[in-house]
Amino acid sequence: MSIHPQLLHLIIALIAVMAWVGLNALVLVYFERKGAGFIQRRPGPFEVGPQGIIQPLVDGIKLMCKQLVMPTGADPVLFWTAPLLSMTPVLLLFLVLPYGPWLTGMQIDLGILLILAFAGINVLALLIAGWSSNNKYGLLGAARAVAQSVAYEIPLLLAVLAVAFTTGTLDFVKITEGQGPWPWQWNMVYQPLAFIIFIISAVGECNRAPFDLPEAESELTAGFHTEFSSMGFGLFFMAEYSYMVVVASVASTLFLGGYQGPFGSDGWWWYLPKVYAILMFMIWIRWTYPRVTFVQLLNINWKWLLPLGTVNLLATAFFMKLF
Amino acid sequence: MTRYPDPKQVGGDFYSRNFAKNARPDTLILNLGPQHPSTHGVLRVLLELDGEYILRAEPVFGYLHRMHEKMGETKAWGQFMPNMGRVDYGHPLSWNWAYCGAVEKLAGIEVPERAEVIRVITHEMNRLTSHLLWWGAYILDLGAFTPIMYAFDDREHLLDLLQRPTASRLTYSYFRFGGVSKDLDEKFVEGTKAFIARFRQRLPMYKDLVTDNIILRKRVEDIGIIDQDMVTRYGATGPVARGAGLAYDLRVSEPFGVYDRFDFKVPTQTTCCSMGRYLVRMEEMEQSCRIIEQALEQLPGAEGPHLVKGAPKPQAKMPAGEAYFAVEGGRGKVGVYVVSDGSKIPYRVKLRAPGFSNLSCFAEACQGMLLADAVAVLGSLDLIIPEIDR
Amino acid sequence: MKLFDNLPIECKARADYEKTGQEWVFFFKPGVLRKAVQRLYKDGWFLEDLLALDTTDGMLLVYHFDKMSRPGRVTLKVLTSGTEPKIPTISDIYQGADWHEREVYDFHGVVFEGHPNLIPLLLPAEEDQRIEPPLLKTDKKRTGLKNLMSLYETEVCSAAVEALFTEEPAEEAPAEG
Repeated sequence: MSIHPQLLHLIIALIAVMAWVGLNALVLVYFERKGAGFIQRRPGPFEVGPQGIIQPLVDGIKLMCKQLVMPTGADPVLFWTAPLLSMTPVLLLFLVLPYGPWLTGMQIDLGILLILAFAGINVLALLIAGWSSNNKYGLLGAARAVAQSVAYEIPLLLAVLAVAFTTGTLDFVKITEGQGPWPWQWNMVYQPLAFIIFIISAVGECNRAPFDLPEAESELTAGFHTEFSSMGFGLFFMAEYSYMVVVASVASTLFLGGYQGPFGSDGWWWYLPKVYAILMFMIWIRWTYPRVTFVQLLNINWKWLLPLGTVNLLATAFFMKLF
Repeated sequence: MTRYPDPKQVGGDFYSRNFAKNARPDTLILNLGPQHPSTHGVLRVLLELDGEYILRAEPVFGYLHRMHEKMGETKAWGQFMPNMGRVDYGHPLSWNWAYCGAVEKLAGIEVPERAEVIRVITHEMNRLTSHLLWWGAYILDLGAFTPIMYAFDDREHLLDLLQRPTASRLTYSYFRFGGVSKDLDEKFVEGTKAFIARFRQRLPMYKDLVTDNIILRKRVEDIGIIDQDMVTRYGATGPVARGAGLAYDLRVSEPFGVYDRFDFKVPTQTTCCSMGRYLVRMEEMEQSCRIIEQALEQLPGAEGPHLVKGAPKPQAKMPAGEAYFAVEGGRGKVGVYVVSDGSKIPYRVKLRAPGFSNLSCFAEACQGMLLADAVAVLGSLDLIIPEIDR
Repeated sequence: MKLFDNLPIECKARADYEKTGQEWVFFFKPGVLRKAVQRLYKDGWFLEDLLALDTTDGMLLVYHFDKMSRPGRVTLKVLTSGTEPKIPTISDIYQGADWHEREVYDFHGVVFEGHPNLIPLLLPAEEDQRIEPPLLKTDKKRTGLKNLMSLYETEVCSAAVEALFTEEPAEEAPAEG
């Protein structure tokens, strides 16, 4: 009996993706803490390993060794489902991302659609987490998370659609190859407004500062994950960082030419620096700006991003028809 | 419709039950604190929320109550002095001065000129540390993590300088009846001059990077209106009163010590909002620098020792009578009222904490606003909980 | 200081600001307090603090008022019974007095009549944990008003108030005059 080669490919890809997600979370935590240290004029972690490079790993081990606590009055099934529900879809999202010409877990025609669809599940996880933990801060955080995610998904979609219009496909590989290796051939140049809207919405969608309202520390202590300890919290944490990587990857694929390099030097070595540049940009924002209030957050979305995204989409369609 | 969670089922303490009596059935009662990141210690605020809008608020405190007034009635006059460093960890020298001033009035002790100038210098430096602490913590409340590191960088320099004469970094007990405990040395003077030069360059940077930030401005402008009538009714003082357009600064309007010698202005803002109070404090830091500079120039010419000859011993008796002395602390009017029956131990010590009156504005000022805005208003009042609880 | 002119003042005295930190000292009967405080509010004074003083002559309530536009402090003093101190509230005129009154209720057990929410402020609040007012003096330590303060330069003074201060004439009054 032989295994179907495509299935084998998928299994290997899934395992690779899992390793990649875990590794990525560690690297990103390290970058975040070092970046924060740089911005705040302090060294950041430097005790564990050379330049503190093992710090995220031992932090992870510490998290795993901690006790799992559930508050009285919490719904046990939903309470433990929530972190898992937050983490699992992420693995699926990484499958369709094109890391290089030959490095795609699963090349499908509707890659963008799959990402947008499964990214929405995270909202459900946050809602369940906040609501099931029988904590008022959690409840408020969950309510904020839902309103925010639902709102910011729309301009995100509009920005993605504008790119899909110009390239005429929802397949990541084709979109990548529709752009050239040089910066002036990227979609960012043809769709600057869509790029800006995408980045802002992506920060909102990832619950990152200055849009980190569902877990606003100084208002809701920790928002939806107030009651989660140990790896319950750890999974939310990893999911958050993984979603960051996903949106940064999507942005680099859609707008920055993905894995294409000049003179045929295509490969992941072009892809990852672009992804990490966007991630560093998000880290930079987080440690620089104060948090907006909820009213302002929704105002930015409904009064600015959504109309601008719609206008951009219509204009794109108009020019497509014209030429 | 049952309230979430049902108060009968959950219980709650005396204040929760008392607060829930007047609550609407469809609202959420939230305990903000006592252990909450933005209540600066152990303030607790009971909030009745409709969605995220605040219908009613009641601050509950006393978790840090140490009964300083009772301690005052059990210790000798001089022995009570260290307590004054512990009332307000933000600006302890103002409490030092208020208590010393009251006792000096009571006993008719003359303070030498040099001691007065030293008091002004250290008091103003302590005000800078207080405002820097507030500034960093306030921006932290608003969700920006970085400015507090810069504020503490500056504050650290100040604490290093203040450590030389006062021998402590937080809870100073530096003033004595009739002067201060230790004279300033040359290194302190040089260091302070260098710090002022450095700080002068940092302040414009803070303005560019933080004060003019659009998100910060939108967060704090036009929220937490405390107008002149409210200031009068609640007895709010300090930056809260000056943010409402009242140029009420004890250093000018009821000069104490040698403050009448210095040329500085009292910053006011007429917007009455949190941004007004913010800008007043930022401007005050500049004015404090001016005062310190002038005082350092006057220091060599100031006559007399740093402590008057024949200053009372810690166990000394004070003449019978009453005296009230108020100074301008970082948060407002710090007042100490002492009553003596002529013995070694005070008959009554009353501490008037500015934060106590400032915080009482909060319940009225925060009605109808968002939870996030309430945090911004709470921070703009510059609360130091130990001072409120005393 | 003509603010309280046609009110039944018990005693009106000018104090030395340099020595006591007060400019004017007034004694009132509890019934007149609210009227006097209302006039202060209309004239733009604000309440600094309020405290109680446990003496052998009874519980002395001391209200400190100050004005933002000029230096000088006005002190209102009201003497009530030492065993069951009671006084009308001023928390409806000065909302800031609300917490001050609750604090005095905590520390000295003074009951403020008409206070909307007279519950403990700083001391334990649960019914089974409440403690005796801690600042009440023991009989040994408690002393009379005349040993604690002087009457200063009186302009008007009723015989009752004067009697509190003049049992031992050699102590205080002449020294100030």
